[in-house]
Amino acid sequence: MKKTLSLLVAVLLVLSFVACGNNTTQPPADSEGAQTDKGEMSSENSGKLTIWAWDPNFNIAIMDEAKEIYLKDNPKVEFEIVDIAKGSLEQKLHVNLASGVTDGLPDITLIEDYNAQKYLQSYPGSFADLTGKIKHDDFIDYKVALMTLDGKVYGVPFDTGASGFFYRTDYLKQAGYEAQDLNDLTWAQFIEIGKTVKEKTGKAMLPFGLDDGGLMRIMLQSAGKWYFDDDGSINLTNNDAVKEAVETYKAIVDADIIKPTNGWTEWVASFNNGDSASVVTGIWIIGSIKAENSQSGKWGVAPTPRLNISGSKNASNLGGSSWYVIENSKNKDVAIDFLNKIYAGDNDFYQKILGDKGAVGSYQPAQTGTAYAKEDAFFGNQKIYVDFSAWMKDIPSVNYGLHTYEADAAIFNVMPDVYAGNLSIEDALKKAEEHLKNQIAQ
Amino acid sequence: MLKSSTKKNADRTHNAYGWLFISLALILISVFMFYPIGHSFYLSTMRTKGIVQQFVGLNNYIRLLQDPMFILALKNTFTFFLIQVPIMLLLGLIFATILNDNTIKFRGVFRTALFLPAVTSLVAYTILFKMMFSSEGFINNLLMNMHIIQEPIPWLLDPFWSKVTIIIALTWRWTGYNMVFYLSGLQNIPKEIYEAAEIDGAGKVQQFIRITVPILKPIIVFTSIMSTIGTLQLFDEPMNLSMGGTTSSTIGPGNSLLTLSVYIYNLSFKYVPNFGYAATVSYVIVFIVAILSFIQFKVAGDKN
Repeated sequence: MKKTLSLLVAVLLVLSFVACGNNTTQPPADSEGAQTDKGEMSSENSGKLTIWAWDPNFNIAIMDEAKEIYLKDNPKVEFEIVDIAKGSLEQKLHVNLASGVTDGLPDITLIEDYNAQKYLQSYPGSFADLTGKIKHDDFIDYKVALMTLDGKVYGVPFDTGASGFFYRTDYLKQAGYEAQDLNDLTWAQFIEIGKTVKEKTGKAMLPFGLDDGGLMRIMLQSAGKWYFDDDGSINLTNNDAVKEAVETYKAIVDADIIKPTNGWTEWVASFNNGDSASVVTGIWIIGSIKAENSQSGKWGVAPTPRLNISGSKNASNLGGSSWYVIENSKNKDVAIDFLNKIYAGDNDFYQKILGDKGAVGSYQPAQTGTAYAKEDAFFGNQKIYVDFSAWMKDIPSVNYGLHTYEADAAIFNVMPDVYAGNLSIEDALKKAEEHLKNQIAQ
Repeated sequence: MLKSSTKKNADRTHNAYGWLFISLALILISVFMFYPIGHSFYLSTMRTKGIVQQFVGLNNYIRLLQDPMFILALKNTFTFFLIQVPIMLLLGLIFATILNDNTIKFRGVFRTALFLPAVTSLVAYTILFKMMFSSEGFINNLLMNMHIIQEPIPWLLDPFWSKVTIIIALTWRWTGYNMVFYLSGLQNIPKEIYEAAEIDGAGKVQQFIRITVPILKPIIVFTSIMSTIGTLQLFDEPMNLSMGGTTSSTIGPGNSLLTLSVYIYNLSFKYVPNFGYAATVSYVIVFIVAILSFIQFKVAGDKN
């Protein structure tokens, strides 16, 4: 009895091993066959598309919209849109791509622009080359540049993170400022206004994460600079934009116009509950601002403040992401066709997601549509999307390179000492550069 | 003669059966333990960028010694280890001694209350602590209403205070867990020893130092080794207190909560994926744990 039982267990185990082995080796061969079949034989698309993205209120909702439109002409295509938190999604992508097993991967995935080159260069051959399959000329240049490697373009640009200076019109009025006083500011002017606001209303000017590099990236890109030179070499100590940005961070903290926050939730809460008079960030924040209905009509948007160095524009960018197709996807052609028809060709789709979700795509032909020209009651009938489209054209193009997050960490590693005055800005940047050099040592 | 040969045969069959029975376990251990250990060592001799690999020999280990981020992570980890572990173990020992006293009422309630944190999810309690210790959170409000402090303490906004916060959190989570080990150890100490000590005129404190601690020594060594390993692998708490570094650029203000395990995560998933270097760091953790455990055995362990 015992013997037969152990034999059974043994057989089961061996079988499961064999099964495992099968799983990992067979499908790629299978899928290639299936793929060519489909490409040649059927004109109507079928198959299942798995799509990974984060943020159910934004990316996922928009993808659902795109799915509905595509299904009208291609009813045989099945969709599985998976909502995964951004951090987890990136982790899953890394693990799956590194393992070389393609089973666990989606057909289409969202990747943040700062990370695009990292994925493209770390996993060569894993993403489908879309050069010539998508009309990339229709998209804003700086987005296309981010997904280009060795002359090949690998993605479909999606939303922009064009930045703005969102402010509470009622607080600013109380402090004596009208909309026209807030155009084309420098950060120094911004801080002065903040002091007056604090004095007159008692409210903080900005919700501010002391270790959040977002604002710094806005400042750097407004000057057309980054933590690196165009050739990718580190440039912190000899970079007037970085120096000015760090100085501005310290000045903002010293001016006592901030509400220090820790993490996204506190940050959003501070303007939703009226503790902060403004926020300078990417356009995607509109959804979170509008989440507080009682503040309707009390908001306005002005251009992003600029750094006090030559070449700095009153326009910048924070975040933004794009769609990528996995090279070994079983339904690669369907995936590309889907992205091409909707994200690179459907003007109405862009009008709809702008109206519903405030999503500003980087697809230029759609930027003259009716939804863009609409007045927004929440923002006191300001035509905010007309403004954003105008600012978007001024955003300096920057090569983010591979190591944005390493650089961010190195800088913010020394920021507490800068705030406290323990380190001069020159010494702090020297230390950060030293850190960064070791971090990305080749 | 005949007898011994049958015995040999029987031994051989026994042996064969023995090997057969453990073979499955051996195969599983080889596949899921030995192979990963070996492969990660192989990986630690590589410089990787995703799937692009290049053999660099022991360069990763040399690079480690000059990597300020690694040294910072090591320093932070040891700060937590050297401050938090002794506090926690001492507290656990004191609680255990108090709750072992038969004269105390509601012992079960107190024991449960102290042990309960140990069964809560790491992520859940960390997020709770993050809320309680935010600048307008429960703790600051309480302290200000009691007029103990005038200004809110920047618990999670300042490099020093964020370390304090995580030490408080860890102590809350793990003290009860260690207390249970001590409690079970205390039950094995005969009452007569304490009675004899009392007759000899030893006070409670003296009994604690002269009797309880020496007899519990093996358990204290065990808990300290477990805590050492746990602290060196500290991950969930710093990761969640800093919200995974998604909205913050560092792990805690000025990387004050960066631990070795979080550094490994960053190297693999947040930065350009250098799995080779990450494997190197994890090997270093193994060495450190081995060395520390060895020291603890030597210093405090029994001869046998």
